[in-house]
Amino acid sequence: MTSRLGVLKTVLWASVGVLAAITVVRFTRGLGAVTNLSDAAPWGLWIGFDVMAGVALAAGGFVLAATVYVFGLERYRPFVRPAILTAWLGYIAVAVGLLYDLGLPWNIWHPMIYWQHHSVLFEVAACVMLYLTVLTLEFAPVVLEHPFFQRPLFRMAVKVLKKGTILLVILGIVLSTLHQSSLGSLFLIAPFRLHPLWYSPIIYVLFFVSAVGLGLMMVTLESLLSAYFLGHRLNREALAGLGLAASVVLWVYVALRVGDLAARGVLPGAIDGSWQSNWFVVELAWSAVIPAALLLSRRVRSSVAGLAACAAMAVSGLVLHRLDVSIVAFARPEGAGYFPTWAEFGVSIGIVSCCVLVFLFFVERFKVYEEEGGAAATPERAPVDPATAWSLAPPSFAPYRYSLVAVSAAVLALAFLPVRGASPRTTPVAAALAVDGRAIERDGVEPRNLVLAHMEIPIVDAVVGAEVPASLARLLAIDGNRDGTLVLFDHDAHAEREGGDPACAICHHLDLPYDRASSCSECHRDMYEPTRLFSHASHVTALDGNDGCTQCHADDAEIKTLETSTACVECHETPEAPGAAASGEPPLVPSPNDRWLPASGYMDAMHGLCLGCHQRRTLEEPARWGDALDRCDACHDADFGADLRALTPKRNSGGRTSVGRTDDHVR
Amino acid sequence: MSVQMNDTFAILIDTTRCKGCEKCVAACKEENGLGDDRPWRGQGAIDGLSPTRNCTVLRQADDRFVLQQCRHCLEPACVSACLVGAMQKTPEGPVIYDADKCMGCRYCLMACPYGIPRYDWDRAAPEVHKCTMCYDRVSEGREPACVEACPEEATVFGTRAELLAEARRRMAAEPGKYVPVIFGEHEVGGTSVLYISDAPLAMGWKADLGDQPLPALTWASLEKVPPVVVGMGTLMAGIYWVIGRRMKLAAEANVALAIEAAAAESGPAGEEADHD
Repeated sequence: MTSRLGVLKTVLWASVGVLAAITVVRFTRGLGAVTNLSDAAPWGLWIGFDVMAGVALAAGGFVLAATVYVFGLERYRPFVRPAILTAWLGYIAVAVGLLYDLGLPWNIWHPMIYWQHHSVLFEVAACVMLYLTVLTLEFAPVVLEHPFFQRPLFRMAVKVLKKGTILLVILGIVLSTLHQSSLGSLFLIAPFRLHPLWYSPIIYVLFFVSAVGLGLMMVTLESLLSAYFLGHRLNREALAGLGLAASVVLWVYVALRVGDLAARGVLPGAIDGSWQSNWFVVELAWSAVIPAALLLSRRVRSSVAGLAACAAMAVSGLVLHRLDVSIVAFARPEGAGYFPTWAEFGVSIGIVSCCVLVFLFFVERFKVYEEEGGAAATPERAPVDPATAWSLAPPSFAPYRYSLVAVSAAVLALAFLPVRGASPRTTPVAAALAVDGRAIERDGVEPRNLVLAHMEIPIVDAVVGAEVPASLARLLAIDGNRDGTLVLFDHDAHAEREGGDPACAICHHLDLPYDRASSCSECHRDMYEPTRLFSHASHVTALDGNDGCTQCHADDAEIKTLETSTACVECHETPEAPGAAASGEPPLVPSPNDRWLPASGYMDAMHGLCLGCHQRRTLEEPARWGDALDRCDACHDADFGADLRALTPKRNSGGRTSVGRTDDHVR
Repeated sequence: MSVQMNDTFAILIDTTRCKGCEKCVAACKEENGLGDDRPWRGQGAIDGLSPTRNCTVLRQADDRFVLQQCRHCLEPACVSACLVGAMQKTPEGPVIYDADKCMGCRYCLMACPYGIPRYDWDRAAPEVHKCTMCYDRVSEGREPACVEACPEEATVFGTRAELLAEARRRMAAEPGKYVPVIFGEHEVGGTSVLYISDAPLAMGWKADLGDQPLPALTWASLEKVPPVVVGMGTLMAGIYWVIGRRMKLAAEANVALAIEAAAAESGPAGEEADHD
C-alpha cells in the first residue's frame, strides 16, 4: 500500500517540478512562449480542461451535498467529505489554472468591482467566487476538528458552521446550477464558430445535466482510487446506488442531446460521415451511452472493475465533451489549427498533481474519510501530537526524495522551454551573399545574363558565336524562390529600373514574417508572359469601366500601347509602392519607357540567370561537359515527358551559403 | 436598430473605389503609434490583422480590395461578452477597449463574429488590439486617420444615417454596378462600418451571419438566472423540509409503535421508551 502511494507521490512531485519550470517561463515570456494559442485559437487546453472540465469534475461536491443533506439519503454520507474536499480543491485548481491562462492575471479580481450583468462570463466568475467561499465554509469544520484547533473560538466556529450547513448546501446547489450551466452559455455567443452538433440553444441544460452525471461518476472513481492507493474499505452497496443514479442522469443527458439535435433538424448531420459527425458519435457513446447502458446491469454496478470502467469512461468522455465544445468543434481559419504544446499539458497535469498532493495531505492528517477513514488505514502512524501536527517532516527520507524528484524535473523541463522567449515562425530563407559578377549584355534584351566574376572565361554568345561585351557588376546571390537555391540577382539594375530609392518598397514591402524582401515570383508572376507591375483589370474597375478608357488612352485613334498611354506617374504622382510609408522624396517624373518596363516572365527571369552560362560552357568545353549542362534535366528533376509547367527546379541541398549548386559553379 | 443609433458615427467603405494602396493602413499605424510589425504565427492565415495592424487591405478575386477592420457593431458581441467592461460601445459609435480594466480572458476574441480582435501573444503583459475608429479624433470632430488618408474616397466618414443615404445614392447613380446590399446595414443587428461592393462580401465566420444581434442569444440564457435562483432555492428548501418532516413523522411513528409494542408486552418498558 505504502509503496503504491510512494510511487504515486513521486510522480506527482515530478509533475509539480515541471509545473514550476513552466510557470517561470509563462509569466516572464508571455502566453505565446509556452502555448500554441493564437488569434485563431484564443482558448486552448487551459480553458478547455482546467476551467471547463475542472468545474464539471468538481460537480460531485454539490451533487453529494444535495443527496445527503437535502434528500436525506444517509447511506451516502461517507462520500460527502471527500467530495466536498475534491470540489474545493477543484475550484482552487480552476482559479489557479485561470491565473496561468489570463493575459493579465493580476486583474483577476476586476469582476468584483466592474459588474457586467450582460456577460455570461461575469455570471460564471461571480458564481465561482461565491461557491469557492461556500465550499471553504463547508470544508472548514473538517480542518477545525483537528486537535491543533482545540480552542473555544474554533469550536464555536465549527458549531455555527454545522448549524448553517443546510443553508450553505442549498446556496451551493443554487450557485452550482447557475455556473455549471453558464459554462455552456458562454458558447451561445459563437453560433457561427461552434459546430452545430455541439452548438445548441439549450447548451446550458446539457452542461448542467452532464455535470451532475460527471459529478456522480467522479465521486465513484475517487472512492475506487482512494481504496486502491489508501486502502480504504469500499462501500459497495452505496457505490452501486451512485452508479444507478449516474446511469439515469446520463440517459437523460443522451435523450436531451439527441432530442435537441432532432428538434433542430441537425440529426442527419450526426451520421453524414464528416469527421465531426464521427467524432460526435464516438464522444456521445464513450461519455454517456456505453457507461449508462453498462450501469443498468446489476452485475456491473456491484463489481469494482465494472464500476471503475464505467466511471473512467464517463469521466473521460464528459471531459472530452468540454474539450470538444471549447476547442475541437470550434471553427478556426483554414491552416490555423491548434494542438496544445507539451508545456500546456505540463501546466494542466501539474495543477492536478498539486491538487492530488493537497488532497492526500488532508486525507492523511484530517478526518476526511469518516469512520472507515484515515486512522484505520495508517495504523502505524503515532497519535497526532498537537504541537507537531503541522510538521511536514516525518522521520523518513521521503521528503528528500520528493524534493530531489521535483527539482530534477524542473531543471529538465527548463532545458526544453524557450527561456529566452518565443520567436515567430520564420520563412526559411537563405541569407543573401554579395558577390562580384558580370552582367552580359544580350543586345538590349532583358534580362541580362549574370555570371560570377571569377569565371575567367571568354564570354561567347551561344547563338551568334561571337564574344559579347560584359560589364563588371556588384551582384547579390539571393534565395529568390525561397527554396534554398541561391540565384544571382542584379540589385542595382532592379533598383534603377524601378525608379531609384523610392521604389525599394516595390519588393521590400511585401515582407513575409522576418523576411527581408519579396521572392522573385511576387513580381514575375506569370511563368511565360512578361508581366508589368500594373494591373489593367483593377484600373478598368477603378475608372468606371468603358467610360474610363480615355483617362489613360487619351487618343481614340491611336493603337492602345504602353507608348501611347498616359504615363502612370501622371496620375500616381508619388511613385511609391502600395503600403510604403511616405518618404517625403520629391516625385519622380520619368518617361513611361524608362520607368515601367515589363518585368520578365518568371521562367525567363530564372532561365536568364542560368541558361546563357550553361550554353556557353557547353560550347567551350564540350569534352568536359558533354550535354550535361545543356539539357533541361540538368536543373529540372522531372522526366522530359512531363508537362513543362510541372517541372520544379532541383532544390539545392547545399544549404545557406552556396551559389546555385556550389560544386558546379564555384571552383 | 433605433433612429438614435443611426445618429452615431460610422464609416462607409466602397470597395469599387479601393485600389489597395494601403495608405489607410500606414495612416492607422502612424496615428495609433503601432510601430513595426511583429509578425506572429497564424496571423497570416486569417487576414493580416495583428497587434500592429488595426486594419488591413484584403486582396480578393479580380483585384478587388477590401478594407478589413472592426465593424463597430451596433450591438457588439465583444462588449456583451466582456466581464469587466473593458470593451465599451461609446455613445458616439466606436467600440473602444480599456486595457486598464481588461483581465485578459480573450472571450472577446471568441465572441467576435468577424474574428477581428488581436492579442499580444509575445508579450508578458498582453493587451487586445483592434480599430477604435480613432475615438479621440472622432470625439474632437475630426475624421478617423484611415478616412483622411484615403486618396480615392473609398472610405467615407459620417453619421450612420448619412452614410446609408450616400450608399443608396451611389447605388442609384450607377444601377447594376453594385450588389444591391449595404453590407452591415442589418448584419448581426447592424454595424457602424458599412460596405458597398460589386461582388458579394462574406468576411465573417459564416457567409450569412443573419440579422440577429448576437448578445440576444446569451441574454436568452442570462434572463433565466433570477428564476433559477428562486426556483432552485425554493425547490431544495422545500424538499429538505418535506423529507425532514416525513422522516421526523416516521421516527415519531416508529417511537409510538415501539411504545405500543412495549406497552403491550410489559408495563415498565414503556416508560423507558417514553424517556427516549
